[in-house]
Amino acid sequence: MTAVAAAHDHHAPPKPTGRHRLTGPGWLRVLWTTPLGFGVGAGLVVLIRWLADWHPLWKGPVIVTVELVTTPLFFLVGLGGFDYWGYYASGRKTRPEDHSGHGARSWRDYFRVNTDHKVIGIQYVVTTIVFFMIGGLLAMLFRAELAQPGDQFFNPQTFNVLVSDHAALMIFLFIIPAFAGLGNYVIPLMIGAADMAFPRLNALSFWLLPIGGVIFLAGMVVPGGGPSAGWTCYAPLCSHQPLGQVFFNMGVQWAGASSIMTALNFLVTIITMRAPGMTFWRMPLLVWANFTTSLLVVIATPFIAGSQFFVMFDRVLHTNFFEHGGGGYVLGYQHIFWFYSHPAVYIMMLPGFGIISEVISVMSRKPVFGYRLMALSLLAILVLGFSVWAHHMFVAGMAGWLRVPMMVTSMVIAVPTGIKIFSWLATMWEGRIHFTTPMLFALGFLSMFVIGGLSGIYLASVPIDIHASDTYFIVAHIHYVLFGGSVFTIFAGIYYWFPKMTGRMYDERLGKLHFWLTFIGFNLTFFPMHYIGLQGMPRRVADYAHRFADINLFISIASFGLGASTLVFLYNMVYSWRHGRAAAANPWRALTLEWQVSSPPPIFNFDEIPQVVGNPYEYGVPGARHAIFGAPKPEPVGAD
Amino acid sequence: MRRGSVFQLVGLGIVAAAITTLVAVLVPWLPEDASRESGRIHFVYWFTTGIAIAVFSVVVAVLAYSVLKFRARPDDDSDGPPTHGHTTLEIVWTAVPAILVTAISIVSAVVLAQNGHAGPNPLRIQVKAQQFAWSFTYPNGKSYGYLTLPKGRSAKLDITSQDVIHSFWVPEFSQKQDAVPGQHNMIVVTPTRLGTFPVICTELCGLGHALMRSHADVVTPAQFATFMKNGGTKGPAGLAVFQQNGCGSCHTFKPANATGTIGPDLDKLAQYAKQANRGSLAQFTKESIVSPSAYIQPGYSDLMPHTFGTQIPANQLTQLVQYLDQGAK
Repeated sequence: MTAVAAAHDHHAPPKPTGRHRLTGPGWLRVLWTTPLGFGVGAGLVVLIRWLADWHPLWKGPVIVTVELVTTPLFFLVGLGGFDYWGYYASGRKTRPEDHSGHGARSWRDYFRVNTDHKVIGIQYVVTTIVFFMIGGLLAMLFRAELAQPGDQFFNPQTFNVLVSDHAALMIFLFIIPAFAGLGNYVIPLMIGAADMAFPRLNALSFWLLPIGGVIFLAGMVVPGGGPSAGWTCYAPLCSHQPLGQVFFNMGVQWAGASSIMTALNFLVTIITMRAPGMTFWRMPLLVWANFTTSLLVVIATPFIAGSQFFVMFDRVLHTNFFEHGGGGYVLGYQHIFWFYSHPAVYIMMLPGFGIISEVISVMSRKPVFGYRLMALSLLAILVLGFSVWAHHMFVAGMAGWLRVPMMVTSMVIAVPTGIKIFSWLATMWEGRIHFTTPMLFALGFLSMFVIGGLSGIYLASVPIDIHASDTYFIVAHIHYVLFGGSVFTIFAGIYYWFPKMTGRMYDERLGKLHFWLTFIGFNLTFFPMHYIGLQGMPRRVADYAHRFADINLFISIASFGLGASTLVFLYNMVYSWRHGRAAAANPWRALTLEWQVSSPPPIFNFDEIPQVVGNPYEYGVPGARHAIFGAPKPEPVGAD
Repeated sequence: MRRGSVFQLVGLGIVAAAITTLVAVLVPWLPEDASRESGRIHFVYWFTTGIAIAVFSVVVAVLAYSVLKFRARPDDDSDGPPTHGHTTLEIVWTAVPAILVTAISIVSAVVLAQNGHAGPNPLRIQVKAQQFAWSFTYPNGKSYGYLTLPKGRSAKLDITSQDVIHSFWVPEFSQKQDAVPGQHNMIVVTPTRLGTFPVICTELCGLGHALMRSHADVVTPAQFATFMKNGGTKGPAGLAVFQQNGCGSCHTFKPANATGTIGPDLDKLAQYAKQANRGSLAQFTKESIVSPSAYIQPGYSDLMPHTFGTQIPANQLTQLVQYLDQGAK
């Protein structure tokens, strides 16, 4: 059934020599194209200003804005992100796809433009974990400041930068792309495909991500000050921030473009590349979840791109999209922003729902309860998700009549979400539950997400929201859904597919230790925030009333514990990847296709194209098969 | 299911409900309600809490029961029963949550409508927010840096902003409303309790956001009538100007009990003036208010709004300068 990587049709590309090392794709070429991009950006600005006779010719903030487009673009050119298309567009002979970009033979291959979805998946997951660590560190820094009222370590400017970038990194550089990474690795395997539909686009979409991350980080330390208007970046405050704000606006563009490209790739892959017999009603729920998520991304993400461009234009070009004085519509920003950023909540949750369905079914040894309703409820959330954005604006002073309809649609989302929760419980019922680390995180997710969902009901109710909005109650709620929800599912997914991705087992005892430390640290940190929020502590303040001093000290100490728990995870991952015990092809005895090939999978995933003959979760059904191998030997897969 | 299992499951549910109820009741989650509107909002809160406790207990009971009862032994390789679904059950857990959220929606919509309705003869107050101060203007044209309301009479607050978005919140009143430049947003507050309550800005509005605080005094109708007649701020005239313009959000100034740290410490005004060497103390003080970017005290940033020169009437500006210079000596 399984197969070892077929080495014969896989040869390393010839090593470039001499000047070709400088002109061929790679980091040496990056070394000269990046400064070139910098020069082109600055030159362009100076040239235009000279032609138009604007003075001074050298205007820092304008140049920086243009640089944030040209420099990353030339970096990507240097790395080789556009080589194939460049050759093709200019009519030159394209290098035939010899699959030399497939697979990773050493750690260096992870630093190249690699078209293998398995390599890209790992690139994504590792990169996002790096940004998770940085984002968490920022949170611990401002929790240190909040341990006592008054100013201790940071002035309000630095504090606001820390808060803004913590959220931006966690959302744009961790949760959203971490799911994209796991999906990238698993989806082609799960549907029986050799790779993604557009491998080169896939490679490019990964490399946009670290660019976005570096721009966010650079914005924190840029002269003049970092972005300090919060991750929501509300106009008009956001249009009058220090230069770092432009980095924030542009970081969102790069991360968002990456997100859109991946989503398009997922959609085309899922629609066109399913193995014979893999009908939509036979797809694993993770594939369903990424299908709906990708639709959300493709439809919604352009809106945040627009919102960030418009506030940036208000600042740089002196347009008046959101400037009241110039006839702009101040609340227009919030409408556009939340038209993306509420669906973004589901972009950050639905793939997690998919992971949980896989883990709970396999670890309980039972079919997913109500499979079709589970898939349909994803679609219901997709549709409803676009009709609730204004519940973030109940106190904003928008059109009064919008409040009740938006409350009702927000409430109704509880119904498909409830269906999912109850179906997972029913899946576990009378099962044979194996309490492995992924399962612990799945159970942790279930319990924490119920709390986050219920506090969401409070906030959907307009009168309660009027009291609680913009307080720490909101901070508690979003961390129960995004940390207790999304991050727990990401951990579940990483542990669950770790054997498949690395070919080694993680340390189960350390995994469980990690779960319990995270679970306890998480609750101690975020549960008390409900209380201080309702009592009257607003969010995004560096200083607060003395009566909240003790409880904030408690929260800060707990948050350091929560941060430290991540070290257990890191150690486990790094150590197990190097020294872990070799993993079997199918350590969880799962039925889905990714477990029917070796760990890690062969270079083109399947030596034989699987023929899908049944549903993916038929545990306990005698003689049930999801797929059979042994169909006629396929043509060389992935040929151009 | 066997009858014993049903008892165990129900028992777990009751334990979960009991613990959750204790947490909900024993912890004082909400601030005391001090307005008719907050009383109604608290009702919605408790209504929702009742439903939330029920839902949470059901989920926790099933979860706990499953964890305790369906644990596989380490060597158990068997599968569970291949249950694929149960139509009745699925209809129930679609319909029941739908009914519950509909109930919460109806209660919320009713309360929202009631809370937007001011009684007869409401007191109309113009609320103006700016970085980083509140100002409250009464029908007689007088403005204050803090809010004074008579108990028992509805007040209609007409809220706007001069610069960026702020948000007006008094936790004890439960009413909150963003102040948006170019917009006049309305909320109704009907105080039911005498006392002094904090006014808090809840929308990130810049560096002084955390300190954009004021207070709301709820007084008896008789006290309010006196306040309308006499003003209310005791002390020098300049103090009223200082408070009304929110200077204390950013500046420390002992005579006014102000402790802000974003802008220069006004207790050291005389020393700064000497350092700056830009004319007399009074000239320096006035210049620093009217055109704050003209001279920046080392160690501080050019952050002060430029609007005070046009916003503070000339006589009040003189009072403010006198007040600051006296305190500095």
